[in-house]
Amino acid sequence: MLRTLLEKVTTGGVHSYADLCRELGVSESLLEQMLMDLERMGYLKRVGTDCERHCANCSLNGTCAISQGGQVWTLTEKGTTGR
Amino acid sequence: MTKEGLITLALAGQPNVGKSTVFNLLTGMNQHVGNWPGKTIEQKTGTFMYNGTRFKLVDLPGTYSLSANSPEEVIARNFIIKERPDVVVALLDAAILERSLYLVAELLPLPAPVVIALNMMDVAEQEGMRIEPHVLEAALGVPVIPMVATKNQGVRELIQAIDDVAHGRVKYHPRLPEIRADHRAVLEEIEALIDSYVPEPYPKSWVALKLLEGDSEITEMMRACTPDDVWEQVHAILMAHEDAIIDVAGGRYDWIRRMVRAAVTRPKAGQITRTDKLDRWATHPFWGMFILAGILGMVFWLTYTVGAPLQNLLDVYVVGTAANWMGALLVSAPTWVRGLVMDGIIGGVGTVITFLPILVIFFATMGLLEDIGYMARAAYAMDRFMHLMGLHGKSFLPLFLGFGCNVPAIMGARVIESQRARLLTIMIAPLVPCTARMVVVTFLAPIFFGQAATLVSWGLIGLSLTVLAVLGILINKIAFRGERAAFIMELPLYHVPNWRTIALLVWQRCLAFLKKAGTLILVMAVIVWALSYWPGGDVETSFLAQFGRLLEPVGALMGMSWRMIVALLTSFIAKENSLATMGVLYGAGNEEAKLAERLSGTLTPAAALAFLVVQMLFVPCVATVAAMWQETRSVRWTLFNVVLLLVVSFGVGILVYQVAGWLGG
Repeated sequence: MLRTLLEKVTTGGVHSYADLCRELGVSESLLEQMLMDLERMGYLKRVGTDCERHCANCSLNGTCAISQGGQVWTLTEKGTTGR
Repeated sequence: MTKEGLITLALAGQPNVGKSTVFNLLTGMNQHVGNWPGKTIEQKTGTFMYNGTRFKLVDLPGTYSLSANSPEEVIARNFIIKERPDVVVALLDAAILERSLYLVAELLPLPAPVVIALNMMDVAEQEGMRIEPHVLEAALGVPVIPMVATKNQGVRELIQAIDDVAHGRVKYHPRLPEIRADHRAVLEEIEALIDSYVPEPYPKSWVALKLLEGDSEITEMMRACTPDDVWEQVHAILMAHEDAIIDVAGGRYDWIRRMVRAAVTRPKAGQITRTDKLDRWATHPFWGMFILAGILGMVFWLTYTVGAPLQNLLDVYVVGTAANWMGALLVSAPTWVRGLVMDGIIGGVGTVITFLPILVIFFATMGLLEDIGYMARAAYAMDRFMHLMGLHGKSFLPLFLGFGCNVPAIMGARVIESQRARLLTIMIAPLVPCTARMVVVTFLAPIFFGQAATLVSWGLIGLSLTVLAVLGILINKIAFRGERAAFIMELPLYHVPNWRTIALLVWQRCLAFLKKAGTLILVMAVIVWALSYWPGGDVETSFLAQFGRLLEPVGALMGMSWRMIVALLTSFIAKENSLATMGVLYGAGNEEAKLAERLSGTLTPAAALAFLVVQMLFVPCVATVAAMWQETRSVRWTLFNVVLLLVVSFGVGILVYQVAGWLGG
């Protein structure tokens, strides 16, 4: 199933948790664990983890979607080639 | 299997599944706390009697899986492999059953029978999950005992099941996870190669699986135990199948899905269903954009309908009154002091401060959208749309995540690995319509266009995004060469707005705005005034006019006077300065006429539209340019960007003026 997930993601575009859960037939908590596994294997990485440091003093940081608690992931080079 | 009449049990489970509670329930006071040999990790053991048999229970460290990712995982698996407990009790959290089952998928291939204690059944029930333990038991092929440890429910049944398995009274045929067919052959090949070298008591098939999974501890162990020529062969296979780890772990996830399919029904909670239903529209590639455009239109409409009259009142009563008072007070002061206070400070900063009501409404509506969880959808819908247009997600995500301000958009470009693509993304980041630009448009659009202001503002955003998209497509072709990019976004649930949070947000942003008005904008207003006063005390012959007239030929192409061109240029310090400068140059501090009336009288609609277009696409503010320099570390690229945007903004401005003039008549 991890390969199916990775294949879905490598077709490109933006995917929401809800879409992926529906397509794979799993719960959101399991999807999250799969994403973490793919991160550990080096296929995915989290986006915006160093945001807080940069945005701490910005009066507009509330308008930034990253700061709204939702996690964003992107493919690594390894994830793009699928190897 | 019993050793000296004692049955050894291992208690395995993920952290926070209630292991301590179950351990205490089973062993009572008969506990011993020490450390795992050679580690600082706590080891708890205890004993209890049941039906005349003595049981020893060893609490394994809490782990999510049994890879060699942490010392806890290595301890847990080594204990099961080396000490061979008679039964492993896998304690699962029923409320997150799927996630808990991952550990079971790893426990089953080990050489000890497993009994599953399905704890927290009450929590699962509260969350609307219906789990049928018998169905799960039939699917897994191992005993499953439902429990609520905190209420002492299911403990006796658990001990009975352990006793039955330990004494071989029940059939134990677990269904193991499998890996994909092509890698199964590889697994067999590895197993055959290492067959005679796997040290006791490691199970051969498990070792082969862990090698394929790239497990560091097992790889090291086997490298030491295997002759060089054999290891070379094994290593070559492993290198050729580096991606097998996906299929090994993936096989476990497939297994989990199969196991829970029949045993679990999950009626969706109200909030999730609502979010799902709304998201079907809000995140749709077409309707999502449609809704986003509609919402933006509503925000502008509300801002103009409610904010503009308030702004007018402030202009008349606060700025007008202040100007009257100061005029009376300074009647005998030198002309330049009068000019500085009336035209420079009141005309400049006063004008800027009058849009506080507009800002409050704009920030409040945006804050409301953020708080209910819509803004994440806006970014998502926009991203999907951009992707459909053939743009590279990697360059657009940072841009749209930094909706409000260009600085974070430029910082956000860090997610792009390729230096070239990152640079080009930074180059187009200033085209994202930032809040400060929106403020200028929000103020000027109703002055120039009255009833049509909403439509014009909406069109200006559309134009910015179109220019951004055109440049973005070019970047995709040049820098990414059509390569694919992907993002996965977690969209938080929609929820009822918290008015306190929104009020706080509005307050913070207004405060930040007022601070800016009191510092940067004030200084610039004074400088602009000074340059417009000296040397002769007349605007028309001032330094600023002399400079502005040099640029008049460009302005003429867009129907703009030198005053408007200067207003544009001062927006480089901060976007709102355009308004302050207009306030100074059009004498807003003068009690005779309001800025709005003077402005609407001086510009033709075509020129006004061109001005707003240029304002939207113009060189970003100095903070953004600084961020650009900081991120690119290149003066050349930073200057290139300034020139590029100057050309693009004036180019589009001229085009809009000429076309609008031609259409208008």
